[in-house]
Amino acid sequence: MSGRKIGEVILDLRNISLSFGGVKALQDISFNVLEHEIRAIIGPNGAGKSSMLNVINGVYRPQEGDIILRGEHHANMDSYGAAKAGLARTFQNIALFKGMSVLDNIMTGRNLKMKANMLQQAFWLGPAQREELEHRAKVEEIIDFLEIQHIRKTPVGRLPYGLQKRVDLARALAMEPQILLLDEPMAGMNVEEKQDMCRFILDVNDQFGTTVVLIEHDMGVVMDISDRVVVLDYGKKIGDGSPDEVRANPDVISAYLGASH
Amino acid sequence: MAFFLETLLGGLMSGMLYSLVALGFVLIFKASGVFNFAQGAMVLFAALAMARFSEWIPGWLGTENLFVANLLAFIVSVVVMFVVAWLIERLALRYLVNQDGATLLMATLGIAYVLDGIGQTIFGSDIYKIDVGMPKEPVMMLESVFEGGILINKEDFIAALIAALLVISLSIFFQKTATGRALRAVADDHQAAQSIGIPLDRIWVIVWCVAGITALVAGIIWGSKLGVQFSLSTIALRALPVVILGGLTSVPGAIIGGLIIGVGEKLSEVYLGPFVGGGIEIWFAYMLALVFLLFRPQGLFGEKIIDRV
Repeated sequence: MSGRKIGEVILDLRNISLSFGGVKALQDISFNVLEHEIRAIIGPNGAGKSSMLNVINGVYRPQEGDIILRGEHHANMDSYGAAKAGLARTFQNIALFKGMSVLDNIMTGRNLKMKANMLQQAFWLGPAQREELEHRAKVEEIIDFLEIQHIRKTPVGRLPYGLQKRVDLARALAMEPQILLLDEPMAGMNVEEKQDMCRFILDVNDQFGTTVVLIEHDMGVVMDISDRVVVLDYGKKIGDGSPDEVRANPDVISAYLGASH
Repeated sequence: MAFFLETLLGGLMSGMLYSLVALGFVLIFKASGVFNFAQGAMVLFAALAMARFSEWIPGWLGTENLFVANLLAFIVSVVVMFVVAWLIERLALRYLVNQDGATLLMATLGIAYVLDGIGQTIFGSDIYKIDVGMPKEPVMMLESVFEGGILINKEDFIAALIAALLVISLSIFFQKTATGRALRAVADDHQAAQSIGIPLDRIWVIVWCVAGITALVAGIIWGSKLGVQFSLSTIALRALPVVILGGLTSVPGAIIGGLIIGVGEKLSEVYLGPFVGGGIEIWFAYMLALVFLLFRPQGLFGEKIIDRV
């Protein structure tokens, strides 16, 4: 890997428990994420990976446990609060704004950074106009970075799945997040698309220093790009460490091979 | 031919006003999934505010100038509608996020009664007039093309023009500005919008403000034609067929639906009226809406999510 330096703990999850009625989605899970690293959460279907991400992102509030982001407690934030705190995410079943063009979709990611008020926008006054152009320039950089120039004006609903996933990533990047949460970024992709996505994730991490937390179902890809891996199974943490350590962990092996629990 | 054109234009002009009220429904439904039964009450409330402030303001300021009085009354009414929008979000909607469609619908029914009550308590319950200086006399047009020309009601024409201008500027606002983009984003997907840092509560206030402005303009136009009275709040019901026709989720649908219903009412009254004894104008729109509900429940342009209502 390149010259990026893994830093201090940026996100610390302590004893997180989440249940829906009688279903215990997450049970007493603790792990941390270091600045600039790529941290993967893996596990079989129904292991609680997405729930975990939704907890970090403020969609779900855990019944127990604490989320510490840059030394501050954040257990009660909602997803708007998470966005403000510098967390961006993509969605497993793409949640783009289907009626809008690729460009507009990515521009929505700049929303928090826009300062002009509505009146200025309504009358297209100087500050609003200038701001729109600045953000547009930034968005064009992201578009170039992810190589989606050719579909800039296309309504997102018409794009093939692999490209939609890329636009989803672009929208998240437009927020210039400190931490990027990716929910199965490679699900449903063919090999070539997967390779592209891996390359983008590594580049984002490398060039912008963005901390990446990603969920994957499939172990293969993740092991190649992650610095550290957390393994969940039935809402419990069964492994945590470098890819090699995790791969050698007997609990992980049995979870993946479906041995008796 | 001239007579046909006259009827057609009359229909288009009244249709534009339906579009305006329908737009109020569509905006709120798109952005928050709420079918706003209080739209009619908002029209009445706004018209009452406009009527009474334009009456009071000359007394307060000692000005006789009708234009100044109306302008100030308009500005004050806009502010009043913004406050109403903010209060609705603050006191009702905020607590109903992610509730069932029926719950939200009932909440707006409640809001409608509260608005009706408060409006008449503050502003009085007599019949008031709004005089914004609209010309009342009809004009002849195209006399060189047709024999006798066609007769146009100037008041209707100006009203339609104002409605059209408002609709166009709102569309541009939604397409071209950052706030408009955020509004469209929320309309598309609440969850995703929130996670990229679009504040839902603020967006909802904005949408209700915009709906308040459409209500105000509709209230002023209808109020100056018919007088401001309680029956104004039932006018919004006439926009219901428009919304069904155009689709609950489509802004262009609201506009085109309004025009179709306006034209259909007038044409059917004139050409079918004699055979069934007249009075078609009153039920035509509902009949058309019923046909649409049977064969194309999502409307002309809507998405198939009408089950949320």
